[in-house]
Amino acid sequence: MTAAPMIDVRGVVYDYPTARALHGVSFTVEAGAVLAMVGPNGAGKTTLLRCMAALDNPTEGEIIVAGLDTRGDPRGVHAAIGYLPDFFGLYEELSVRRALTYAARSRGMSPGETPRAVEEAAARVQLTDRLEMRAGELSRGLKQRLAIAQTIVHRPRVLLLDEPAAGLDPEARRALSDLILRLAGEGMTIVVSSHILAELEDYSTRMLMIRDGAVAGGGVVAAGSGARHGLQVAVAFADPPQDLPERLAAIGVTLERHDGEEVVLLAPEGEDDAALLARLIGAGLKVRSFQPVRRTLEDAYLAEVAR
Amino acid sequence: MNPEFQRNLWLEASPRRIAWAGVVLLLIYGAAITLTRSNPYGALPALGGVGAVVFVVCAMIWGARASGNSILTEIADRTWDFQRLSALKPWAMTWGKLFGGASLAWLCGLTGLLMMVIAGLSGGVTGLATTAVFMLALAVLLQAISLGAALIGVRKARAEGRTARASGVLGGLIIGAILLSWVAGSAGFQRGMGTEGFGALFTANGLVDWGGRLWSAAAFRAVALTLFAAWAVVGAWRLMRLELQMQNAPVIWPAFLIFLAIFAGGFVLRTQGFAASLAVGSLVVALSAYAAAFAEPADRVRIRQFAHFAAKGDLARAAPLTPAPLAPLLIATLLVLGAFAAPTGSLMTPELGQAGALIAFLLRDLGVIALCRMGERPQRGDFSAVVALGLLYGVGGSIGWAVGQETGGALFAPLANAPLISLASGLAQAAVVWVLAAKRIGINAPPSAPASVPAT
Repeated sequence: MTAAPMIDVRGVVYDYPTARALHGVSFTVEAGAVLAMVGPNGAGKTTLLRCMAALDNPTEGEIIVAGLDTRGDPRGVHAAIGYLPDFFGLYEELSVRRALTYAARSRGMSPGETPRAVEEAAARVQLTDRLEMRAGELSRGLKQRLAIAQTIVHRPRVLLLDEPAAGLDPEARRALSDLILRLAGEGMTIVVSSHILAELEDYSTRMLMIRDGAVAGGGVVAAGSGARHGLQVAVAFADPPQDLPERLAAIGVTLERHDGEEVVLLAPEGEDDAALLARLIGAGLKVRSFQPVRRTLEDAYLAEVAR
Repeated sequence: MNPEFQRNLWLEASPRRIAWAGVVLLLIYGAAITLTRSNPYGALPALGGVGAVVFVVCAMIWGARASGNSILTEIADRTWDFQRLSALKPWAMTWGKLFGGASLAWLCGLTGLLMMVIAGLSGGVTGLATTAVFMLALAVLLQAISLGAALIGVRKARAEGRTARASGVLGGLIIGAILLSWVAGSAGFQRGMGTEGFGALFTANGLVDWGGRLWSAAAFRAVALTLFAAWAVVGAWRLMRLELQMQNAPVIWPAFLIFLAIFAGGFVLRTQGFAASLAVGSLVVALSAYAAAFAEPADRVRIRQFAHFAAKGDLARAAPLTPAPLAPLLIATLLVLGAFAAPTGSLMTPELGQAGALIAFLLRDLGVIALCRMGERPQRGDFSAVVALGLLYGVGGSIGWAVGQETGGALFAPLANAPLISLASGLAQAAVVWVLAAKRIGINAPPSAPASVPAT
C-alpha cells in the first residue's frame, strides 16, 4: 500500500471572469519532494499555486493538501502550509522579531511556544543577529529571508514558493538554495515555481511543466541534482565484451544507451561513484574512462518538451 | 491578545505616536482653556464643546479612514494574502482591524468624549448617557461601514482585475443614503423633503413616531444607531469571512433586509397604516437590491456556477453562490404584494398592476446592471450601468412624456396613473434585458465551459 500523496491536484479548472487560466490540471506530489514547477510566464503557475494555497477556489476539480480539501477546509489548509507569493510584502515598520511573532501567533501558535518558534525561524534563515532591526531596513535578500521565515515559523508541512529567487543576487540565491535543501532535509514538501531553470537546479527532486494552463510533458518527473532515479555514469570500456548488458545486469547496473564509444549506465539510487567503479572492475570489465553524468533540470525539461 | 489587534497596536499606537498625539491634544485643550478663561461659567463648557469636536474628528472621521485603510494598506503593501493565509477566525480579524486599525483615533476621540461628559455633568446637562451612546454608536457605525466598503472594494477589484479602492463604494453608500432620504421624503414617507431625515438624526428633538407609538427622539436615535452599528459590524464580519475563503449561507443578508424593512416601515405605521408600512419597507429593500447589484463582484463564472447548481437542485452548493440582489428582489416583491393586498385582504386589487410595475422595473434595472457589468471589461461596468439607467429613466422618460404625457412616460417608469402600461413595458424590457444578460453571462453553460463568452 502506498502512502497518500502530500499534494493531490485533480482536474483543476480555473476561470478568471474573462479567460480560462487552468485547463484540467492533475498531478500528485509525494511527501518530502521538492517539486520544481516550471513553465513560461503566463502559463498558469501562480494561479495554480494560489489554488493550492486555498487563496482562490478552482472553478472545477479539487485539490487535497496534507489530507485537507482546499475548498472544504481552506482554513485548515492555511494552517498546514506556508506560501510565499511572487510579489510579497512585509510590515516594514515592525521589527524582525515582531514580524515573526505576529506570523507565528496569527498562524495559531500559542503565546507560550511563540518566542522559541521565532528564534528557531530566525536561526533557520540566519537572521538571529537582526531580530531587533526594522523590516524596512533590511536588504532585498534579507527581506526575502524574513518573508520565508514568516512562512515557516509555524512549521508547515508544505511550503509553496512562487518565484522565490526573483531579484536576488547570486549570494542570496545560494543562501536560498541552501535553505530549501535544509527544509527539504527536515521532511518538508516544497513546491517552487519559476521560469528560470537554473535557479531550481540545486534543490529540485521532481519537475512539473505547466504550459498554457495545462500539464505539459509527462506530468511530475524526476529531475535536477536530487533526481532519485539513480546514478548515471558515462563509461568507456577497453574491449567491451559481447555480453556487456548481461554482465552489467548481474551487478545491478542498467545499460541505458550507447553514446559513441561510451555507454551510459544507470546504477541504483544511492549508489556511490567509487563503489560502482570498484564493482565494474570487480566484474572483470576494463574501464578506460568513468564520468558521472548529471541529469540537469534542463535535460529533464527538454526531454519532456520532446515527448 | 488577538494577534491582529496586537499588530495594529504596534503599528498605530506606538508610544511615540501616542506621545505626539498627547502633545497635540494638550495644545488643543490648552488653547480652549486659554481662550475662555474670562468666561463667567469657566472653561468647562467650552472644553465640552471642543471635546465633542475632537471626538467627531478623531473617532468618526479619522477612525473611519483608519478602519478602511487597515484593509487597503494591506493590499497596497502586498501583505493581504499573508493575512488571508492566517489561522485567525474571521471575527478576530474583523475586530482586530476595526478597533486596532483605529486604536489611536479611539484614544484621542475618547479624551474628547470624556471632556464632553465632564462638562455636561458639571453643567447639569440631561440625557448625557444617551448622547454618549449615540456618539459611540455612530463612530462604530462609520468605522464598520468603512471597513466593509474596503472589503467590498477588494472583492470587486479582484474579480474585475483592477486596483482595490474603497472610495467608489463609500461614495456609492453616501449617494444611496441621500437618494433614500430624498425618495422617502418626496414620497411622503417622512416629514418634509430631501435630507430632512438626516437633519432629524442629528438634532433629535421631541418625539419620534415609530411602530405605532411615540418615543423620545434622543433615546430612539441612540438605540437605532446602536442597532445599525451592530449590523454594520456583522456585515464587515460576513465580508471578512468571504475574504478568508469561507462561505456564507444566505441568512444574515435577508435578516438585515427584513430588519431594514421593519425599521423604515415603522415610521408610518401609526399615521398611514400597515399597508403604507409595507410599501415603505419594500421601497427601502428595493433600493438595497440596487446597492447589492453594484456591490457584488462582476464575476460571471460565479453566477454561472450558481445557475448550474441551482438547476441541478444542489442547493447546498448553490446557496453560498446566491447573487446578493436576489434576496432584496424577492423580499421587495413580497412586501409590495403585501402592501397592495393588505387593505382589502386580497391580492386581486386594482393597485396590483402598479405593484407589478414596480417589481418589473426593478427586475429590468437589475438586468441592465448585470448586462453592463458582466461584459468583457467589467472594470467599466459600474459606470456603464449608471449611465444606462440614467438614460433609460432620464432621456427615455422625457421622450416618452413628450410623446404621450403620462401614457408615454409610463413606458419608461412605473407610474401610478398608467400602471398596466408600466407593467407591460417593464416586463417586456426586463425580458429583453435579461435575455441579453443571460447570453453575456453564459448562464446555460456548464461551469466547465470556457470562461470567455462572446459579448452580446
